[in-house]
Amino acid sequence: MNVVVGLAKGFTGIIGAGATNLTGLITGMIPNLLILLTLVNAIIALIGEDKVNAFAKKMTKFRITRYTILPFLALFFFTNPMCYTMGRFVEEEQKPGFIDATFRLAHPITGIFAHANAGEIFIWSGISSGIVKLGLDATPLAVRYLIVGLIVTFISGNVTEFVTKRILATSK
Amino acid sequence: MSKKIVKVEKGKTGWGGPFTLYASGKQNVVASVTGGGIDPLAQKIADLLEVPVVDGFNNKVEPENMIVVVTDCGGTARCGVYPKMGVKTIDINAISPSGPLAKFMNEENFCSGCTIDTAYLVEDDGSIDTAPVEATVAPEQEASSEPAPEQKGFMGLIAKMGGAVGTFVNTFYQAGRDSVDMVMRNILPFMAFVSVLVGIINYSGIGNILANAVKPLAGSLPGLIGLSIFCAIPFLSPMLGPGAVIGQIIGVLLGVEIGKGTIPPSYSLPALFAINSQVGCDFIPVALTLAEAEDKTVQAGVPAQLFTRLVTGPVAVLIAFAFSLGLY
Repeated sequence: MNVVVGLAKGFTGIIGAGATNLTGLITGMIPNLLILLTLVNAIIALIGEDKVNAFAKKMTKFRITRYTILPFLALFFFTNPMCYTMGRFVEEEQKPGFIDATFRLAHPITGIFAHANAGEIFIWSGISSGIVKLGLDATPLAVRYLIVGLIVTFISGNVTEFVTKRILATSK
Repeated sequence: MSKKIVKVEKGKTGWGGPFTLYASGKQNVVASVTGGGIDPLAQKIADLLEVPVVDGFNNKVEPENMIVVVTDCGGTARCGVYPKMGVKTIDINAISPSGPLAKFMNEENFCSGCTIDTAYLVEDDGSIDTAPVEATVAPEQEASSEPAPEQKGFMGLIAKMGGAVGTFVNTFYQAGRDSVDMVMRNILPFMAFVSVLVGIINYSGIGNILANAVKPLAGSLPGLIGLSIFCAIPFLSPMLGPGAVIGQIIGVLLGVEIGKGTIPPSYSLPALFAINSQVGCDFIPVALTLAEAEDKTVQAGVPAQLFTRLVTGPVAVLIAFAFSLGLY
């Protein structure tokens, strides 16, 4: 009998610990997320796709903007997964570079702009919840995550563009 | 010769369908967009229809040529992209419409949880219209605002202002609706799932075992670099990618350990990059298709991205480590 009671205690204990965690997530994260998502979605709708596209076309020409600002704009305004459609503005052999760059930014951007990839925020919020639990502010981490993300995005875009061109050249 | 017709029904816990599939006009291939080669279900459908099956992960297939596409999407991207393009989509994972493109998924274009036992040949008894039909791209929802007849003077001004306020309010209201939808469909379910994991870890002794296993890996720079290379191995990365589920679970586990003090907080920045060098690797050909890339670009771009990750993955960890100095 004691074994059964012990098992039942363990079971309800797991449920309780999980529920406490869920309460924390719902009260701590969802209100912020809903306000952010609503505000940014509304701003995106008010600015309109055409204006963003017109601006994005100007960003494709230079290496430095093509692999930093362009992926950022794509993710911010079109979000994962429709952001990749912006790749149609870049030159054919630069497309893999642009796609790789956008992939690499898809999570670093969520530290501050969660709407860009809201379905996959737990890469960021999983780790940042540990920081919050220690009583530290997660904002400096979010800022550095985005800065390093942009640097990595730039490097990945260039490296992938280089390798793609080499593969295309040898296969000719 | 009678036309081959294949019927595909949803699996036991699946959603949508059933599909009646046949080759017609330009639609003459079965596409398989799954990480590890051609899915047996796609192979079977293609064999029954006597049409070629194409591995959409390594080759680009034009959406209008697909009779049907078979994916193993976990519920974020691929499961919605093809329905949006008007292609019938079979997901071998039993999911219901979810992800940012869930609104484009319906019972006509999406069927999930299918297995090779739920696809079978049916007799063409003439009851099914097999006339060639072009794949129709789902029309974008347009807010058609009919220009109201011009009114003059004061009343005209009021009407104009009313219209502007109406647009503003409706935009925000719709944004709110989309946001709640996103939270309900994607974020809350993941939170519930994560909480169950955390409950088990925190209450049972598994947490301590896990901490010992994780500490040498995530609590040191060589460990993190090793983790990033592991995630970037070209034949592993497409399997670790889908829905970022594995990355997110590891993120939660590391967060728990950081919160307990097992891993120093400054390691959180390099860790964020170490667990994510596989990002998007399951999605490369689809993303390139969305970018309207040509076939030869896709064929070069997929290996280019998969292999460069072996370099850019650890490089990202090193840069993040440099930037983590002075943090916390």
